[in-house]
Amino acid sequence: MDTGVILNNLNFLIVQGFIGLGAFAGGTLRLAIPAIILGFILGVFIGLCRLARSSWVKIPATVYVEFFRGVPLVMVIFWFWFIIPVFLGKSLPEYSVALAAFVIFEAAYLSEIVRAGIQSVPHGQVEAATATGLTHVQTMRYVILPQALRNMIPALVTQFIVLLKDTSLASIIGYVDLTKAAQIVNNREIRPFELYLFIAVIYWLCSYGMSRYARSLERRFAQSAA
Amino acid sequence: MIYRFDWSVLWSGQSGIWLLQGLVTTLEMSVLAWLLAFTLGIASGVLRTALIPPLRWISTFYVEFFRNVPLLVWMFFWYFAIPPLLPESLRNWLFDHGVEFWAGFFALGVYHGARFSEVIRSGIQSVPKTQFEAAVSTGLTVAQAYRLIIVPVALRLIIPPATNESLNLLKNSSVALTIGVAELTFQTRQIETYTAKAFEALTAGTLIYLILCLTIAAIMARVEQRVAIPGMIAQGRAGEF
Amino acid sequence: MRRLVFWAAVICAMTFSAVGSWAETTLEKIDRTGTLTIGTRTGSPPFAYVNKNNDWVGFSIDLVEKTILPVISRKLNKQIKLDKKESAPPTRIPLLTSNAVDLIAETMTDTQTRRDSVDFSLTFFVTGAQFLVKKGNPISFDLRHKSIQSLAGKRIAAQQGSTNARIIRERVPSAKLLEFPDQPAAFQALVQGQAQAYTNDGIQLAGLKAKAPKPEDWLVVGEFYSYEPYGMAMKKNDSDFRQAVNIGLMEAIESGKYFELYDKWFGPKGEVPYPLAPDTKRFLQMQVVPK
Repeated sequence: MDTGVILNNLNFLIVQGFIGLGAFAGGTLRLAIPAIILGFILGVFIGLCRLARSSWVKIPATVYVEFFRGVPLVMVIFWFWFIIPVFLGKSLPEYSVALAAFVIFEAAYLSEIVRAGIQSVPHGQVEAATATGLTHVQTMRYVILPQALRNMIPALVTQFIVLLKDTSLASIIGYVDLTKAAQIVNNREIRPFELYLFIAVIYWLCSYGMSRYARSLERRFAQSAA
Repeated sequence: MIYRFDWSVLWSGQSGIWLLQGLVTTLEMSVLAWLLAFTLGIASGVLRTALIPPLRWISTFYVEFFRNVPLLVWMFFWYFAIPPLLPESLRNWLFDHGVEFWAGFFALGVYHGARFSEVIRSGIQSVPKTQFEAAVSTGLTVAQAYRLIIVPVALRLIIPPATNESLNLLKNSSVALTIGVAELTFQTRQIETYTAKAFEALTAGTLIYLILCLTIAAIMARVEQRVAIPGMIAQGRAGEF
Repeated sequence: MRRLVFWAAVICAMTFSAVGSWAETTLEKIDRTGTLTIGTRTGSPPFAYVNKNNDWVGFSIDLVEKTILPVISRKLNKQIKLDKKESAPPTRIPLLTSNAVDLIAETMTDTQTRRDSVDFSLTFFVTGAQFLVKKGNPISFDLRHKSIQSLAGKRIAAQQGSTNARIIRERVPSAKLLEFPDQPAAFQALVQGQAQAYTNDGIQLAGLKAKAPKPEDWLVVGEFYSYEPYGMAMKKNDSDFRQAVNIGLMEAIESGKYFELYDKWFGPKGEVPYPLAPDTKRFLQMQVVPK
């Protein structure tokens, strides 16, 4: 067990691989944080579309969600990696490809959380809002969404954990995230046990930490809703 | 550069055979991993609700240890880091019989076992405690109560989230391409490598996954209706990450 | 419902026809974006690899940066930046045809079959295929004294999509060929014993051995069983770009810059000592056509 290889490359693994500052285009956090924010925005949009009354809006949104939930993320990443440059006519940095793939993919899952959150708001709220003269859009904006968002937060944090783990797949197209950084070092030093165990620990700390936070949030919201 | 579409590459030459081989490998690995995951999931899910704390801790440790690390990292770990530590005879057997397949199967099964465990646990906890008390009061031991009453009911309750997790397992089998398993997504890349027709190859692979997932989901929805216990269609909490 | 399908079909048709109608040459694209994007390796020392300081360096990378990039900058009258993306045998041609990269600058062998899909620059390196084995493995004796047919039934590692994999498959069909996505994966299989020998071009094996944690454990053996001339690959029928690349290489050979870089990486004090055969030197020089 040679911890030297980890200490020598700690800077590369954490600063370049995990955070994303350095000569290579990379960083687990640099990918995960924008992906969850943009994915959430798109997810809210798609979620609302799925609850729309018009079929013109509802059906494409449903097709979108069912499609991306029926294909592996690896496949979606390859689609974006190979096909987008052909359509746009120029090469995209791995970051853009990975970010686009993650946002579009995760939005499908996030939209389900949004939909469940909105549907969990008691219908009486909608009725009361309409009775006081609010339009449908105003009801959504001022009454439904704020309450729905509070219900959704534990599930959103859970999905963020999923997203953080999924970012490891960006390494397949050469994006230098934590997993790829470990691969680069391993290719040179051939110490898979130490390196992969080390990044497993890093992922574990983040993931477990956030899941504890999610559970505390759940408890807090359950108490306040009672 | 004009991209020339050429759908015939999918059935002429090697491509059709590769796709088929890839599909077979995906199914083989997924089914075996599912069996492993389901077994581990039931064992762990049951233990999580056990009355004796040490049993609960073992199962909690298993679940939290494995599901908080990305599957890709587990694949690398089992494939690269573990074989050198195995006894030589086992190592040679693995090397002669496709070590990447076994590493992929094991990573997939153990990871999803942890996730199944949570789904099954929520199912068990949805079964009213009165069922357990009634079972024990008729003279069944705890183990018998679980085996004959609790688990069968719990399994029916959790069909939707369990189907969801099973489909996740099927889709996650694609991650095994990183350790060289010639499954479906690997083969679509193989076709790209040899024919440069990325669009056609990716479409074929995507369609196959879609058809598989939608079919399995539809079948399980039917199954759920058939085996539903009247009066007990509880919302099994959707499996956590 | 039918109207929905009709409009969806119209939109799809429009999108796909848009694909066919755009055609821009590589030089125009480089001019527009100000960047030359190359596909190169991360684990093939000393051509393109990540060194101990975690810098992405190599002979192929230097050739592009120091000899080809200046020519392109000169031609377009602006300073062009260099962007590197990782490529490997199974991904390099798709990366090129999908416009993700402009030039493949790594360890790609120029072959007639490949010229059906891509164009090659002048040859910038010459080598042949050999084997890397663990010292003491009986297979090294076989390879040194018998032909490659002695590999029948043995587990041989190669890179997926490489010329070496294809040749082994054709010439020794009974060998158990294990294909890996790139060199580091294949080397690890060799280290762990999953493969008994790893086949690649001799110079790359020398580089791998030199950079391995314990170089003394490895032997590069066997006669060259194939001729591997390295070229840089680019999209087909893009003569202006090919001209620029070739001019860059020719100027470098003529002015001696090429040999300076060669010495840096392959000279006696270089990363992987590999003397330049006089035949090869002559061949390189004769590729330089008169102005």
